[in-house]
Amino acid sequence: MLATVVRLTRDLDAAQDAVQEAFAAAVPAWRANGVPANPGAWLTTTARRKAVSARRHVSAVESRLPLLVVDEPGDADPFPDDRLRLLFTCCHPALDLAARVALTLNVVCGLPTADIGRIFLVPESTMAARVTRAKRKIRAAGIPYRVPAPDEIADRLPSVLATVYLFFVQGHTPPRGEELTAADVTARALDLARVLAALLPGEPEVVGLLALLLLTEARRPARADAAGAPVLLADQDRARWDRRLIAEGLALVRPEPRGPYAIQAAIAAVHALAPRAADTDWAAIVRLYDDLLAVHPSPVAALARTMAYAEVAGPSAGLAAVDLLAADSRLAGYHVLPAARADLLRRLGRSVESAQEYARAAELAGNAAERAYLLARAAEHGNGSPPRLP
Amino acid sequence: MKYMLMLFEPETDWEAHPDELQANLAEHDAFSTWLKERGITEVGGEALRGPSTATTLRKVGDEMVVTDGPFAELKEHLGGYYIIDAKDLDEAIEAARRCPTGTVTEIRPIWDMTDYT
Repeated sequence: MLATVVRLTRDLDAAQDAVQEAFAAAVPAWRANGVPANPGAWLTTTARRKAVSARRHVSAVESRLPLLVVDEPGDADPFPDDRLRLLFTCCHPALDLAARVALTLNVVCGLPTADIGRIFLVPESTMAARVTRAKRKIRAAGIPYRVPAPDEIADRLPSVLATVYLFFVQGHTPPRGEELTAADVTARALDLARVLAALLPGEPEVVGLLALLLLTEARRPARADAAGAPVLLADQDRARWDRRLIAEGLALVRPEPRGPYAIQAAIAAVHALAPRAADTDWAAIVRLYDDLLAVHPSPVAALARTMAYAEVAGPSAGLAAVDLLAADSRLAGYHVLPAARADLLRRLGRSVESAQEYARAAELAGNAAERAYLLARAAEHGNGSPPRLP
Repeated sequence: MKYMLMLFEPETDWEAHPDELQANLAEHDAFSTWLKERGITEVGGEALRGPSTATTLRKVGDEMVVTDGPFAELKEHLGGYYIIDAKDLDEAIEAARRCPTGTVTEIRPIWDMTDYT
């Protein structure tokens, strides 16, 4: 039966779907009208009919959806509008955020679901199902393939930016796994941000996101030591920062940024401009975090602000500020909170408490490299001997 | 493409507040006018009586047992609906934004069954 339908569809997936649908349709139909004389023939006929109507549907959708992954030979515009159109479709706010990222990678970047599964550390079948569900929703709910009108862009852009940002973060610090960064993932996210900035150069948040990603990516060579262990920003060898990415990023940072991505880019720029960690203009960073919290309050940003504040006001005042945040239940499972406390306690010479906090942070960290680093720190401050890194 | 806009709102005794009811009806009239001007067909739409008037049948074994009250006790309940014929989901969202509603509007595409029959 499948072979018969495949001959018709010339597509195994579509044929399987049609056959499955035929079986599903058989249950109510046979219950209502009785089992037909030749059930096999009934199913085959129904499956063929389903396949034909499905193909009609698919071709209608495909005619509205040119494949954007294909580079068009045109020379006037290196980024045909189609690509932007598809990006806005895949990042529609009516789709779940995780599905948006998966769909964007699959449809806009042409990444196979197996690769996307590896990035997000889920089995290929899970990722394929996620992509299929999202595609089905696009079709069933009538999510259009078009670039939003100028007055809609402000509404729709955050969803696109969040998608690209989440994709980048996934590579910058994989939430699980052994490696601290996944360079191929961040490179692809950066590509996507560049495409977006080339398509929408007048949007400050698009430019801000690109600047943020460039300035963050620039630090990647210094973020891990030879053994793969994380190196804190303060301890990084700044000679290893990628100067070309920094120059590209700094050129995109505007004075008085307003949106969350542009503000975070400005914060990254302050770090990039400091020749040594000790030269960092922490007061400027605290001010920028205040701006960020005003437009986009988040407990994670609030925690980052208190760490900057600790650099200005000292570890004791910093610890008091962190402890105020500790009551926020949204930070309960976040390993950076105990890690921040541990760092401040260490600077205050409270080494036993510091070691306890490092151990607690290690328990919460999902990334193996981060966990190993935190455990080493816990050992270092717990018994006074230097850490033994793997 | 047809969509149903489901309007959820806290239970309100509209009849005890005739002025508010009139104001609300005027908002819905204005919405219908806007739909027409925007070129979105209003296929239908009704207001529902409150959840205290609901009767629910639930399958228990082979029997449908009749009980008093709505299917689900929620803070917001389905107070009414529109069915519109919009170009795509974005147009439906645009309409839902304009649609007078209590607190929540859910948009569901109407399933075109002509491919299946």
